Order: sequence, then structure tokens, then C-alpha cells
Amino acid sequence: MPGVTLDGLVKAYGALQVVHGIDLNVLEREFVVLVGPSGCGKSTTLRMIAGLEEITAGTLTIDGRRMNRVAPKDRDVAMVFQNYALYPHLNVADNMAFGLRIRKMPKDEIATTIADVAEILGLTPYLERRPADLSGGQRQRVAMGRAIVRHPKVFLFDEPLSNLDAKLRTQMRAEIKRLHNRLGVTSIYVTHDQVEAMTLADRIVVMNDGRIEQVGTPMELFNNPANTFVAGFLGSPPMNQMRGVLTDDNVAVVGGAKIKLSGKVNGNAGRDVIVGIRPEHVVLQEDANTSSLPIELDLVEPLGSEALLHARYGEDNLVFKADTNGDVKHLSGVNTVHVPTHLVKLFDAETGSALNLES
Amino acid sequence: MPRRAAPSTLKADHVAEEKVNTHAQSLTKSRTADETDSRLTRLADHFRREWQIYVMLLPTIIWFVVFLYKPMYGLQIAFKDYSIFRGVANSPWVGWEHFETLFSNDQFLRAVRNTIYISALNLLFGFPAPIILALMFNEVLNQTYKKTAQTIVYLPHFISSVIIAGIVITAFSPTAGIINTFIGWLGFDPVYFLTQPEWFRPIFVGTGIWQEAGFGSIVFLAAIAGVNPSLYESAVVDGANRWQMMWKITIPSILPTILIMLIIRIGNVMEVSFELVILLYQPSTYETADVVNTWVYRQGLQSGQYDLAAAAGLFNAVVAFVLVMTANTLSRRFSRTSLW
Repeated sequence: MPGVTLDGLVKAYGALQVVHGIDLNVLEREFVVLVGPSGCGKSTTLRMIAGLEEITAGTLTIDGRRMNRVAPKDRDVAMVFQNYALYPHLNVADNMAFGLRIRKMPKDEIATTIADVAEILGLTPYLERRPADLSGGQRQRVAMGRAIVRHPKVFLFDEPLSNLDAKLRTQMRAEIKRLHNRLGVTSIYVTHDQVEAMTLADRIVVMNDGRIEQVGTPMELFNNPANTFVAGFLGSPPMNQMRGVLTDDNVAVVGGAKIKLSGKVNGNAGRDVIVGIRPEHVVLQEDANTSSLPIELDLVEPLGSEALLHARYGEDNLVFKADTNGDVKHLSGVNTVHVPTHLVKLFDAETGSALNLES
Repeated sequence: MPRRAAPSTLKADHVAEEKVNTHAQSLTKSRTADETDSRLTRLADHFRREWQIYVMLLPTIIWFVVFLYKPMYGLQIAFKDYSIFRGVANSPWVGWEHFETLFSNDQFLRAVRNTIYISALNLLFGFPAPIILALMFNEVLNQTYKKTAQTIVYLPHFISSVIIAGIVITAFSPTAGIINTFIGWLGFDPVYFLTQPEWFRPIFVGTGIWQEAGFGSIVFLAAIAGVNPSLYESAVVDGANRWQMMWKITIPSILPTILIMLIIRIGNVMEVSFELVILLYQPSTYETADVVNTWVYRQGLQSGQYDLAAAAGLFNAVVAFVLVMTANTLSRRFSRTSLW
């Protein structure tokens, strides 16, 4: 089967297990992003795919071939590292040619390949420069160039943008996306930045504590998070989560506020739940399809076209987004936000899993 | 064709130019004075803020002044007919006389040749030895074995040269030495290694490597430890084997350290390990073993020709200075690495 398949992949260092049986199928030409907090096992998983970490248990298949015991060089993967891993003593052209020379590719073929890839990445004027004489963005491009010249079956990216400043990161993110669209190579990308994950991925794999929490397209994960962890991880600012209790009439009572739900939960009244409200989902105008939530406004952070409202509701610290319409003065008096019924998410208070609402 | 300017115009131009130049010079002077002032102010500020650091630096400065700078005063005896009774200041000047004597003295010229020869051998075999050792240690995966081997090769550095020489003399002894015992087992006659001039240099250089290669490898091991591990991982994914990684990553990465150590080493070319030569050589091996320092010792201290010995010492220092300057300049030009 083309693509990359992880079947019950486990990594343990002695008695300490850090990846607990990952199952994932990355399709050919797909761009999959592994995202999660530090220490969740995403980089370890990537390194197992690259062959830099031994697989403790489970099976790794690339293009239908079992790769567990195959040397990294024979897996036909190319990796872009977080700190670029450029050879400081070699110039850009020699850095890009390194892997090709090791594989004893004829010199003229190497020269042609490098010229082509340098053209794609806009590196032609810098081929004679050493890494120390390049900017962060250029170094990043060289690192990608070194991977591209190999024409591998799979690209592996290990947090490649985390060393760049915010502006350059946005720029390079777009370049990576364009490059993937152009080359169409299966790519697995590790990041802890959910914005990178949302913008780059065909599918996102959210990981936590060595396990996969949810796999899906960015919008699937954003709209229907499988649990409170995914809900809290994706989205900026993250989803507001408040403890509440279900009542008989499709209402969750949070503190004193009654939040109307779009359907019935398969369960009984009095069940403890967590009510999830995305910051951008609230409105300031009440209507028939909204529930009101009285808040104590703490701080207004203007961001330009919108502002962040930091507020308290009982014990909970909440953040909401509101349009500024060019001014934030009118937001300083906000004391109630209104939650559209169809956008309220519900999670089990004990397990954190999402609860389906039956209409 | 350009028109020639009238002489008066030329003169006026010249005067104007001079005025501009004088103005520019005075500006430069005042700027330099300002810069010196601000530098002094900065230094004074720094001293007030960080005086503890300067206090800690003081013993080193005192050491340099007492043992290296003050003795330089005595260097003038290289140009004087020195007498202990008249002292350094009152001895009469003789110009280059001692240097002329030195360069017409066959024994001194032989000592210079020996020094260069032994230093060249040391550079050729002794300099790469710790690098090779460090590269080998870096490839050892078993930590227990690695640590044990490191400890064993570091040990000779901590042994006094007198004991090292004793071990060498015993090992090469024609009667009880292990080398001659082994030669005896093979059916050959014993060799009087330390009395034969042709054996002195290999034994001396070999002893130096045995004593210092291990300890010298620490610097290179530290440089290797500083190489970014991602470079190796990237090379593994690219398909490089350990040998290729050593040649294409490790060695180029530690090259600046190698060059710095080489410059320092070149600066010490004329300083062949004096004690070890004194301990190992004997009149029968002077032909290959007598180096400038031992010659200076014999002439200066044993024969009391302090002025001649000072001239030889000064010659040694000048050669070392020129060598280290040249090495540093070449290294800076070709590899962007230099001591200063």
C-alpha cells in the first residue's frame, strides 16, 4: 500500500514507554501534521519513521514495505531538522549535494539537480555561500533543498520553523505549502504550533502523552474535537471550558447561567458535563437562538479588526473574541455575552470525551 | 586633451588642499583623542563595576611580570660582554659579537638542526596522534571500555618526566629491558638503543607521544562533543557510514580547533622538551640529541657563558615568534581561524 503506515508503533527506553502504540495511515501525496505539546512523543514517532530511533514494537510500512529493520538510508525518506543541520564548512551547493555524493550520483547529474532545486527555492544567488552567511529563512530553504534534491518518497519535517521569527515563519509556512502542492510528495510534519498544523495539514494528528487523541482534517478537528484536550489545544485562544450540569430540557446549567443545547444528550439529567464555547463563537447581540452568559470583564486586548475580551465567570477565566469595528471603547462596557445554541460543545466531565447531541 | 592649469591656479589649489588636509588632520586628531578618552572612561567604569574580576586576574599578571617580563631586562646581555661582577647594566656592549660566535659554532648549528629535525618529527607524528586518538575514542560505543581506555592513556601525562625517562631507560636497557628481551627471544643480539644516535629521535618522539597524546586528545574530544548531533543524524538519513561521517563531518567541524592547536604547537617548535632530552641523552648521542635548549644549558649554566647562552635563547625566541606570526597569518587567510 503506498504511503506510510504505522501499526501499533511503540517506543520504550528501558521500562519507560514514551509512545504507546500509534496507529496511523498516511496516504500517498498527503500532508499530515503531528501536533501536540512538548514531550507528547511526536518527534520520537517521526524519528522512528526516519530510522533514527529503533522501533520497540509495532510495524512501520513505507510504500507497502516493512521498514522496522531497514537502515535510514534505504527507507527513501528525507528529513528537515529543527536546527537545519547544515554543514557549516560546506557552501550551499555542497550542502545540497552531500546526500547525492554519498549515493555516488554522477557529477553532472548532481549539478543539474542542484541548479533545478536552487531555482525552485530561490537559492541560485547563494549557492557559493556558507550557512553562516545566510539568513534564517535562507538556511531553512537550504535544509529543504537538501531534502528535495534526493527526490525521496517521504519528507519528514521536525519542527522546521520553530527557530524563525514570527514574520518569517508565516512566510516559510506558505512556501512549504506551495512546495508540497508543486512536488506532491508524502509529507509528515511535526510541530507544537497549532497554527502551523491548521494551515499546512491535509490531516492533523493530535498527540498527547504518547497517544493519538484525534486524527482528522483541520476543520473537522476544529469543529468537532473528540475531547477536551483537542478542544483546548486547537484554536487560538483555545476553547473556553466550564463545568456544568445537564437538565431535562436540553439545557446545561453553568453556574447560574442556562446554556441551551442544540439537541438531547443520550443520558440522564443531573449528569456533570463540560460546556465548551470557542472564543470567536459568542455574539454581543441576543436573539432567540442564543443563551446569555453574564461576565465580569477584566481586560480588553485590541488586535486590530477584533479584540480579545478577558473575563471571569464564577471561578472560570474566559476569553472571547469580538469585532472592534475600528474602536474598542464600546467593548469596555460588555457584561454579557451570548452563545449561539448550535455552536455549544459538550464533553463528559469525567472522561473529557465529546458528547453527541441528538436532535 | 586636458588643458594645463595656470601655475597660479595650481598653487591656489595646492594651498586649499593643504588647508583641507590640515583641517582633516586636526579633526582626526581630536576624534582619536575623544575615542581614547571614551575608551579610558569605559575601562575605568568597567574597573569600578567589575573590580573583583581584575583582582582575580592580578596573580596571573604578577606571574607574567615577575617571570616573563622582568627577565627580559636581562636579554640585553646577549649584546654585552657580561660579567657577574659588573652586572647587567655595567657590562660593555659588544653588538652582534655573540651571534657571530653562535653562527660560526658547529655545535650550536648542530643543535639548531637537531631542534628543527626533532620538532618536525614531533609535528609530523606527535601532532596528529591526539587527534587520531580523539577520533577513535569518539567511535567507541561501549562507555565502560571507553572510560577505561581514556584513563589509561591520560595517566602518563601525570607522571614526572624523570620517572618517564627511567621507564624508557629500563625498557630499552640491553640487559633487563623488555624490548631487548623480546629481541633476544627472536634470536637477535641486544641493541644499545640509548647509546646509538640513530635511535635517539624515534625513542624521544615515541616517548613524547606516549606521554602526551592521551592528555592532548581531551581538547579534541571536547571539540568533537561540541559538534551538532543533528549533523550526524542528517548524514545517517542521507546514507553516510561512520567512516564518511568522520571524514566529512567530524574532522571539518573540529578543524578550527586543530588549526589553533597547530599554531600554538608551531610557536613551540624551538622548545623541544628540555628535561626529557637532558634525561635521555648522553655524549654518545649528542650528534642527534643535542638541542638548542640543552646547548644553552651546558654553555650558560655549566660553562658560565651567560651572554652567549642569552644570545642563543634570544635567537630561539625570535624564530618562535616569527613562526607563530606566520602560522597565525596563514591560518587566518586560508581558514578564517586564528589565535588573534
